[in-house]
Amino acid sequence: MRLRIIKAYFIKEIIELIRTKMILMPYFMSILIVVLFGYGIKMEVTGVRTLILDYDNSQISRKLILKFEHSKYFKTTVKNISEKDALREIKKANVDAIVIIPSSFEKNTLKGVKTEIGVFIDASFPSRSTTISNYIQGVILDLANDFHIDNSGIIGLNVRNLFNQALRDEEMIVPGLIGMVFLIAPSILTALIIAKEKEEGTIFNFYSSPVTKGEFLIAKLSSIFFLLSINIFLVFLVASYLFDLPFRGSFFLFWLASEIYIFVALGFGLLVSIIASSQMVAMIVTLMLTIIPAFLYSGMIMPISSMSGEAAFTAHIYPVMYYNHIIYDTFLIGQGFKSPTNILYLLILFGYGIILFVFGLLLLKKEIK
Amino acid sequence: MKIFFTIFFKELLSFFRSFGLVLLVIYFFTGEVYVAATGMEIEARNVAVGVVDKSAGGISKKILANLHSPEFQTPKYYKSQKDLNRAIYNKEIMVGIIFDEDFEKNYYKKQNPTINILIDSTTASQSLMAIGYIQNILLKFNNLKLPVKLKIHKLFNQNADTKYFMGLSELLSVITLLTTILTAIAFVKEKESGTWDIMLLMPVNPKIIILAKSFSQIIIIMLGVVISVGLILFHSLNVPINGNLLNFFILTFFYVATTAGIGLFIAAVSNNIMQVSQLSVIIMMPIIFLSGAWTPVYAMHPFLQYLSIFSPLRYYIEGSESVFFRGTEFIDLLPYFSGVLFLGIILYWYGFRKIGKLF
Repeated sequence: MRLRIIKAYFIKEIIELIRTKMILMPYFMSILIVVLFGYGIKMEVTGVRTLILDYDNSQISRKLILKFEHSKYFKTTVKNISEKDALREIKKANVDAIVIIPSSFEKNTLKGVKTEIGVFIDASFPSRSTTISNYIQGVILDLANDFHIDNSGIIGLNVRNLFNQALRDEEMIVPGLIGMVFLIAPSILTALIIAKEKEEGTIFNFYSSPVTKGEFLIAKLSSIFFLLSINIFLVFLVASYLFDLPFRGSFFLFWLASEIYIFVALGFGLLVSIIASSQMVAMIVTLMLTIIPAFLYSGMIMPISSMSGEAAFTAHIYPVMYYNHIIYDTFLIGQGFKSPTNILYLLILFGYGIILFVFGLLLLKKEIK
Repeated sequence: MKIFFTIFFKELLSFFRSFGLVLLVIYFFTGEVYVAATGMEIEARNVAVGVVDKSAGGISKKILANLHSPEFQTPKYYKSQKDLNRAIYNKEIMVGIIFDEDFEKNYYKKQNPTINILIDSTTASQSLMAIGYIQNILLKFNNLKLPVKLKIHKLFNQNADTKYFMGLSELLSVITLLTTILTAIAFVKEKESGTWDIMLLMPVNPKIIILAKSFSQIIIIMLGVVISVGLILFHSLNVPINGNLLNFFILTFFYVATTAGIGLFIAAVSNNIMQVSQLSVIIMMPIIFLSGAWTPVYAMHPFLQYLSIFSPLRYYIEGSESVFFRGTEFIDLLPYFSGVLFLGIILYWYGFRKIGKLF
C-alpha cells in the first residue's frame, strides 16, 4: 500500500472525470431522480372524476350529490344520461366512478325499505379503485348520520397516525428515493469506469504497471466515494427544503449510514464490472440489480413487515432495506442511536460492504485470461 | 431496397451474435416484468398487527377474529403499550390495536366504547387502506341498520388485483427503456469502434442505413413484446384482455418507432456508450414519470399535466390500458393513436435529421 501512488492515481481519476464531464452526472442524476419521483408519485387519491346519474331528483338525492360535491376527494358531474352511455364514458377513461341513484330512492328510504345505490368503479388502476370505494362508503355513512340513526352502542375508532401525521406522499416517498439514488449512482459509476478501461484497453496500463490490486481499487473507488459524499449533503438539502421533510433524528447517523451505504454500492458496482466485459453490459446489469430491488424492497410502497416468503427473504438479502430503515428513522421517527435495531442494521451494512469489497478484490484479475 | 434488407439482416445478425445482450433483452421482457408484477403490491396486504388487550377479551376476540388473510397477518399480542410502541417504532408491525380495560363494560352499557389504533403511517397509502379495512370490519360488526345499501362493482378487475396493472405498466416501461438504449447503442457502438467510418465510405445512401438500422431494433423489440405478452402476461399472470389485441400491437409499433426516434437523437448527441447510458436515463425518467404510469395524469400538479402532453408514453399507457382492461372500441382509441403518431413523427423526424447530420 503506497500512499504516493494512490494519491497520483486518485488525482488522475478526478481529472479524467472532470474532463469527460462525468463529474456532473452523479449529482445531476441523483437530484433529477429525487425531484421527479418525489413530485411524480402521488399515491393519495383526490379529485376522483365522478359521474352521478340522479334518476330520483328528490331532496335526499340532491343532499347526497351535495355531499359528493363538497368533498375534496371528488370532482362530480351530474348528468342525465342512460347507464349505457355512462359506461361508455368509463371505457373512454373520462370518468373514474359512476354513482347511480335509482328512482323512488327517497320514497323507499323514508319508508325504511332497503334501496340500492349502484356504484361502478374503473378498476384498471386497482389500488385507486379500493380507495375510491372506501371514499364512497364514507359519503354514504356520512349521509346516514344526518338522519340520526341511533349509534350509542357502536364501537368507535380512535386512530393515531404515527410518524407521518398528515399522511403526506412526500414523507413516504422521498426518504425511500434517497435509498434508491445512493445505490444506483455509485454502483453505475463504478461499473462503467472499470468496464470502460476494459473496453478501451487502457486496463493494460494497470495489468503491466507495478500497481497492486488493492492500490488500484482504493484509488478508483475512493475518487467516486469522495464525489458522492458531497452528494449526501446535496440530496439532504433537496429533501428537506424542496420537499419540506421533517428531520427528527440525528444527522450524524444519517451521514454515517449514507457513507457506509455508498461504500456498499461501490462494492456492487465493482462486482458487476468484474463480470461485465463491455460498458453496455455493465450498465444494463447494474440497472437491473439496483433499480427494481431498490424500489420493491425499500419499504417505500410496501412495508417490509407485510412481506412474506420469498419477498421477505430477498428483501433481507439486499442492502436497501437496512439503509432505508435508518433513513426513515432519521427523517420521520427519530430514535437515532437509542434504537438497537438501527445500530444492528448499521453493522450489517458495514459487514455487507466489507464482504463485497473482499470478493471484488479476490475476483479482480491482474492479467489477461 | 436490397441494401435496406442487407443492412437490416446484418444488424439482426450482430444482435443475435452478442449472446449476453440477447439474454439481457429476454430477461427484461420476461423475468423483469414477472418480478415487478408479482413482487409489487400497492394494496395493503398481509399487514402485521399487534394487539394490547386489557379488556376481558370476549368482544375483542370476536373483533380480532375478523382480521385475517389476505389483508392481515395473525395479530401478535403484546403485554403493555410500551412493548407495542417499541415494535411499531422498529417497524416490526404496522398497526397496533389497543383495547382499554373498560372497553367491554362500555360495550355492554352502550356507552360508546372506542378502540385505540396506532398506525405507522410512513407508507401513507397503505396505512389509509389498512384503516379502511378495519373500519369496514367494525361496520359489519356494529351491524348498523342503514336503509341504503351500496352495491359496488369494480369494473374490469373485480378483485382489484394489482399484478395485472403492474405487469402491463412494467412491460411498457421496459419497452421504453430498451428501445431507446438499443437504438442508441446500435449507432454509438459503430461510432466507438470506428466501423462508422467504413459505413460512410460505402456507396450507400446514408438515409437507408439509418432507416434499416433503426428498423432492425424496432423489430427486435416487437419480437420481445410478442414473447412477453404471450408468455408472461397471458400465460403466467393471466391478465384478462377485453379489447382487440391487434390494436395493442399496432399502437406498440407506432410507439416503438417514436422511442427509436429518441434513441436516434441520443445517438447523435453522444460519443460513447457511457454518455448514452446517462443521457437515456435523464431523458427517459421524465417521460416515464410524466406518463401517468404511477399517478393518473389528472391527479398531477397542473404544470406537470401540461408537460405530460409531450410524453408519448402517456398516450401509449392509456391506450394499452384501454385495450387490455377497459375493452375500448377502435373509434374511442383514436385519440391515443393520433397522440402517439403525432409525437412519433416529430421525434423520429428530428432524430433522423440529427443523426443524418453526421454524414
